[in-house]
Amino acid sequence: MTTNALSARPTFVATFQRLRLGPYLFMVGFALVVYLIIGPEQFVNALTIGSIYALVAIGYTMVYGIIELINFAHGDVFMVGAFCSMYVLTTPLGQTGPVTDPPALAVILFIDFAVTMLVMGTLGTAIERFAYRPLRNAPRLAPLITAIGVSFILQNIIQIIYGPSPINTPQIIDPAARVVVGGLSIGVINIFIFVTAVTLMIGLQMFVSRTRLGRAMRSTAQDREAAQLMGVDINRTIAATFFIGSALAGAAGVVQGLYFGNIQFTLGFQAGLKAFTAAVLGGIGNITGAALGGFLIGFVEVTAAAQGYFVWAQAAVFAVLIITLVFRPSGLLGQQLGERT
Amino acid sequence: MKITRLAAAAAAAALLVSACSSGSTPSPSAEASAGASAGASAAASAGEKGTLKIGVTLPLSGGAAADGQPTLKGAILAVDQANEAGGIGGYKIEVLPLDHAVNGKYNEQQAAQDMQTFAADAAVIGVVGPYNSAVGKVQIPISNEAGLLQCSPANTNESLTKPEFGALDYRKSFPDRINYIRVAATDDIQGPAMATYDYSKLGLRNVLIIDDVTTFGKGVADNFQTKWEELGGTVADRVGAPPDTTDFNGIISAAKGKNPDGVYYGGVVTSGAGLLLKQMRQQGLDIPFTGPDGIVNGPGDAEGSLIQIAGKDAAAGSYGSLAAIGDFPGKADFTAAFEEHFKNDADFNTPGAYSGPAHACATIILKSLDEFLKTSPDADQAAIREGTRAWASDTSHSFDTVLGTESFDANGDTTLPFISFYTVDPAAKDGIGDWVFKEQINFGAE
Repeated sequence: MTTNALSARPTFVATFQRLRLGPYLFMVGFALVVYLIIGPEQFVNALTIGSIYALVAIGYTMVYGIIELINFAHGDVFMVGAFCSMYVLTTPLGQTGPVTDPPALAVILFIDFAVTMLVMGTLGTAIERFAYRPLRNAPRLAPLITAIGVSFILQNIIQIIYGPSPINTPQIIDPAARVVVGGLSIGVINIFIFVTAVTLMIGLQMFVSRTRLGRAMRSTAQDREAAQLMGVDINRTIAATFFIGSALAGAAGVVQGLYFGNIQFTLGFQAGLKAFTAAVLGGIGNITGAALGGFLIGFVEVTAAAQGYFVWAQAAVFAVLIITLVFRPSGLLGQQLGERT
Repeated sequence: MKITRLAAAAAAAALLVSACSSGSTPSPSAEASAGASAGASAAASAGEKGTLKIGVTLPLSGGAAADGQPTLKGAILAVDQANEAGGIGGYKIEVLPLDHAVNGKYNEQQAAQDMQTFAADAAVIGVVGPYNSAVGKVQIPISNEAGLLQCSPANTNESLTKPEFGALDYRKSFPDRINYIRVAATDDIQGPAMATYDYSKLGLRNVLIIDDVTTFGKGVADNFQTKWEELGGTVADRVGAPPDTTDFNGIISAAKGKNPDGVYYGGVVTSGAGLLLKQMRQQGLDIPFTGPDGIVNGPGDAEGSLIQIAGKDAAAGSYGSLAAIGDFPGKADFTAAFEEHFKNDADFNTPGAYSGPAHACATIILKSLDEFLKTSPDADQAAIREGTRAWASDTSHSFDTVLGTESFDANGDTTLPFISFYTVDPAAKDGIGDWVFKEQINFGAE
């Protein structure tokens, strides 16, 4: 197995040495061009929606990296996360609208994120344990179909509990609140989403590159049998991967609710599709790549909207995907894929 | 992979439909049988010759329930009233509602299947519905082939009936055998009417036009735009946003730079009207939000209504047109009868925008049946179906309905094309917010 997923970056120096700068320069250049075309306000919109896509895409790519499964249920874990957050906010915390007191807001947000991420992480681990682990050595089509099945089970459960209509969820960060940064009025919620997403991504990168469990995850992704021979507990490592990926999807669900204030049980399909695209765009199996891919999709969509071609947004996203894959068949940061993949 | 997922989606859709009907919205079939039995007890003579059915094809669950349920009940009321009065020509009439909402949105494939179910059931002598024009497009070819009378309370897309807009593509099998009639005015009237209202009543000059890229939404927005430009208004931007759009922020930010003083949304609430309005207000765009009948869908406590999704305060300043008579002659009596009849229902127990038109549709079908049975009381079911269709589509006949005296032209369009205008009042309905009637115009008189 040669899929060097969750790629190993032990130290900053080594990281810089091994860094292939092309894709990053491409992203920076792309962002700059987008910024010049659409202007600062739309750029903020793009970064915000891109943050949500990126958070979901990371979970997709982590799971693929470690067990080579396209986890179709991942988008629905995101959707369940949005509902979980709504439940946490409305029922135990009794929130209905914007919270103006900053310390109280911070406490509520912390509880909301902590509970939702924990619950979604547990859900992800449970899905792995009961739906995917028994099929780990089965033909590859079996877990794929199982993933689709899990996706529908999650959708149906939420539909039965909350009904098929869109539901309002409390926007505890006042969506109308704005701050002026360098002459530009930016929504507080937009800044919050971007900062949260980037913090979580940096935290994840540190975790994967600096901890024992992170090292176990990288080694399992690289060669499962060899890792096992070296004493890595494969089951525990894969479960941890699912936990982290699903917790990030849960965080994205919280953010989705805060940003749009309205959620529906069908949310997961679209989000999953975009996240999967982002993961492929970035090089499936590569965490940084998935994050870049998420932002790239955000840029493309918002640029289409800003230019008055919103109806072409989806087509534009896939056009960018195809063009990228023509020049880099394994995605922006993808490794050369071996024959097994 | 994609195909697998789609196939699975189809299978799950079937599951979802069954799940929906056991959900919080009243089950249509339970509704119908309850209504029918109430009628039966009062009418001993009804049913001596058996039972005939009126099909109702509407989206009845999920986000579409706010559209479908009150409309269904309008038809049920008319049938129950007829049964209480002794049935029609010795027959007891039963309502057979089929729900074509999948995942809470109308679904054309399901609607086509439902129409085939009606066509195959010889006891079905007429169908009330559908609600959405895109559904009409798939159903009319089937009902036309079967010669089954179909009366839509709410379809407004002009191409469904008018040959100059391509209606002959839908009634291909029997172009001259009109089986589809409607009591709603058409979008070539509805769209321009709102343009005139926006221009002269609201004083708008530079509007942002967004449509949901569907048969209905794009059609009505095109009609709006043509009239709008004719009046001298300018279009800040024209954008298409597919029905599954949740993030309108990019569109709104782009439009803000062009200083629109109003918005026209061609589409329905399940396509995102509520989310668009909500995000507009959050970005501080406090300009009138106007649209066709697709955005006028019930009060602030109705599941999935525009006012509920956007919030009643954000929804203030919304104006919608209805392709129906808002202040129709029999309205007070109709509302009282409706509320009395459905007073024990948990929700949707007050008439919706299209309850009256659905009642009128059912009345028209029943009247045609009655007239046909007077001339040939012993006809078999196939002959009854054809006779009812022929009587209803005859341009010389007229019908006394709650909407007034309806009759139809050679294409099956109403000769009473009224457009009514509504606005959101956040204080209405004890402070939960509701649409209130402003005024109406009869475009047939022009």
